[in-house]
Amino acid sequence: MLLSKVRLGVVAALLASEWMTFAALAEAAETTGGNLGAHLSKLVESGYVEEEKRFVARRPQSRYRLTRRGRDAFLGHVKQLQSFLKGAS
Amino acid sequence: MDRSQAREHLEMADRIVAASTRELPLRAQAIFFIVWGLAAGSTDLIYGLIGRGVAPGWTQWIAAALLFGAVAFSAVYGRRLRSLDCGMTFLDREFLNVLWVAMAVAFIANVGGWNLFPVYGMGAIWTVAASIVLLYIGLHENRRALAGGVVLIVSLVVANFSPAAVGYVLAAGFYLGYAGFGVSELLAR
Repeated sequence: MLLSKVRLGVVAALLASEWMTFAALAEAAETTGGNLGAHLSKLVESGYVEEEKRFVARRPQSRYRLTRRGRDAFLGHVKQLQSFLKGAS
Repeated sequence: MDRSQAREHLEMADRIVAASTRELPLRAQAIFFIVWGLAAGSTDLIYGLIGRGVAPGWTQWIAAALLFGAVAFSAVYGRRLRSLDCGMTFLDREFLNVLWVAMAVAFIANVGGWNLFPVYGMGAIWTVAASIVLLYIGLHENRRALAGGVVLIVSLVVANFSPAAVGYVLAAGFYLGYAGFGVSELLAR
């Protein structure tokens, strides 16, 4: 799941935040809105990210936060990448 | 995935995490510093004017009104911010905790310790609390906050050695250090 650079960036961006809106997430994860939507759906489906839809000032807003599962997956993935690089060097 | 891709992914994740855990840009909170800097600075200024006999005693009610206005603004604007809460990091939350603890302790010292501290002592307590808040932000790589905190501390020391102008110096510290920091944050966006 986190082999995708965009999804890894999304999870990294959510790591230190309580909630993030779609726009804020796109900026923090260094990607575009069009690219982000599909990746976010996959992360939500896999239980890595929680989505909340609500109205703010009468406008619909989606915001996202990392789940425990997503946090653990991120930490595990980073460890794997580090081990891989150590082994390769 | 090859080695260069793995390194690229790790570097990107590190960059994104570092940006959200190290920096404290304060975004919408900058307006709080302007409002409180102006209110607290004006309070010091009014007491300075009263102490010098330039302003009548009743003007202290203007100071009280300014502080009440700042409290009311904080309550209303803070509530609005919470309802819009969309990008608050855990570091932002920690900063807000430091802000409220510092200000609550200063308020309690003022209200519960009014026999211990003369008028300017109370102003000095607010200066100390405000400088703690700015220096905390400054420790998270915000040089403008660091400068603001230093301005407040310097104003405290200068006020100590300027008995004839204590209120004015403390006021200048709040205008420049606290409200000035808020303005600089708004301009830096």
